[in-house]
Amino acid sequence: MTAFYTWLRETLMALSDSGALPSIFYYEFVVNALLCSIVIGPLLGCVGTMIVAKRMAFFSQAIGNAALTGVAIGVLIGESYTAPYVSMFSFCLLFGIVLNYTKPRTRMSADTLIGVFLSISLAVGASLVLYVSARVNTHILESVMFGSILTVSDLDMNVLLVVTIITLVVGLPLYNKMLLGSLNPSLAQVRGVNVQAIEYVFIVLVTLITVACVKIIGAVLVEALLLIPAAAARNLCRTLRSFVYTTMVLATLSCIGGIWIPMQWDIPVPSGGAIVILAAFFFILTTIIRNVVPGFREAKL
Amino acid sequence: MPGPAIHVDNLSLQLGAHHILSGMQFSIAAGALHCFVGPNGGGKTTTARCLLGQMPHKGNIRFEWNDGVKGTIGYVPQLIEMERTLPLTIDNFMTVISQDKPAFMSPKKTVKAAIDRALERVGLTAKRGLMLGSLSGGERQRLLFAQALIPNPDLLVLDEPMTSLDEGGARLFEQLILELNSEGTTVLWINHDLAQVARLAHTITVIDKVVLAHGSTATTLTGDMQRGVFHAQTNRSAA
Repeated sequence: MTAFYTWLRETLMALSDSGALPSIFYYEFVVNALLCSIVIGPLLGCVGTMIVAKRMAFFSQAIGNAALTGVAIGVLIGESYTAPYVSMFSFCLLFGIVLNYTKPRTRMSADTLIGVFLSISLAVGASLVLYVSARVNTHILESVMFGSILTVSDLDMNVLLVVTIITLVVGLPLYNKMLLGSLNPSLAQVRGVNVQAIEYVFIVLVTLITVACVKIIGAVLVEALLLIPAAAARNLCRTLRSFVYTTMVLATLSCIGGIWIPMQWDIPVPSGGAIVILAAFFFILTTIIRNVVPGFREAKL
Repeated sequence: MPGPAIHVDNLSLQLGAHHILSGMQFSIAAGALHCFVGPNGGGKTTTARCLLGQMPHKGNIRFEWNDGVKGTIGYVPQLIEMERTLPLTIDNFMTVISQDKPAFMSPKKTVKAAIDRALERVGLTAKRGLMLGSLSGGERQRLLFAQALIPNPDLLVLDEPMTSLDEGGARLFEQLILELNSEGTTVLWINHDLAQVARLAHTITVIDKVVLAHGSTATTLTGDMQRGVFHAQTNRSAA
């Protein structure tokens, strides 16, 4: 893969040198970040529709926060603080699975339970990260929470690529079953869907994706990119097909724009922040369209 | 191919401190059109869900499938509130239940033909582009029936499928159920309309936490029993 990345970077640099591409393509980290964003966009877009269908937005937020703890643990046990993947993956997977295991075993509604876990993960994660970042590098906290494209390495891209392939291979054939499981679990069970097992598969996929995207978008904002493009697309779409594809396009545009715009005009904001602000812009735009265009009129209550 | 026979032996269910069902014992013949009747809250739906393997019941439930091969179960649940916020059309929903390929990709030709046929049978063809959230109660019931037709069921479990239907819809459903039953499908139908039960069912089970009566419709659904069921119903609503 490294050879491919090198070839791609060199080609783009040459094009940028000759003036065919904007000058920002001359920088290795920009090319890396943009490569990631064309993978992350469709991935998060597609998974986001399922997150919305399953009403699990806050679940992914909790996982994102758990990544903070993962990073802190990684630094404490001596992993590289720019890529503590072993700790992040293990802790987040553990966290997600425990959360999902607890869900049917308490007599609380899902939002209460997720709220509890969300707070725990943020409190523990932020405290630990602040503690270790004081010892290592104060910029860790900022980049883990809000993303930093400056540090995206070949390793990060490989991790993202592997996670994407796993999601495609495992997630796509189960997409309908997951959707049916959330529409009506009882019906899904009769139709031969193992609802609980599929729930765990989904949890694991969301966890993998969240961790793989932390580098670019940041732990706090991964959830936003899972949620906002889907919400924006929901404003305009009336079929599943248009919903999924519009979400993928909006998520991809947000990623690319969020990385490219601050570079091009030298705006000092973290990549994650810019990506989510752009996604939010799409949401506002589609909300306005929905309320202005007569074709979308519907009952007020 | 005839549908399965079902044998229920000493079925009981306790949820928390509540005894929902106890000591239930009955059999449903292969290819029968069988109705569960009884008062609200008597456990008809719960019994059906035990049969479908969705409850932590005690006792033995045995399906005697033709040739010993587990066939297809079609299930028409009680009228449910459908997802109101998702952009999911009738067509999308049918695709979701019909294939493994993600429903946002276009369905295979054979799948599409099966969906066309099922929607036509329940009279939803003209409404296939509507979103689930915008459907009326009767339309939702038609959709729930349509999904139970793919693939063709050997056992069809219906939970009050007609509560919101208009007259035309009720006639259509009755016809469909009789048609499937005549092709050999075992039908298990939770039904409140005792006149309809008397007219159509081969056998019935009267359920109110226990099996009050079980047998052929003609001998079981006597005037006394009908009064008994209604009596229980009135008592409950009064209480």
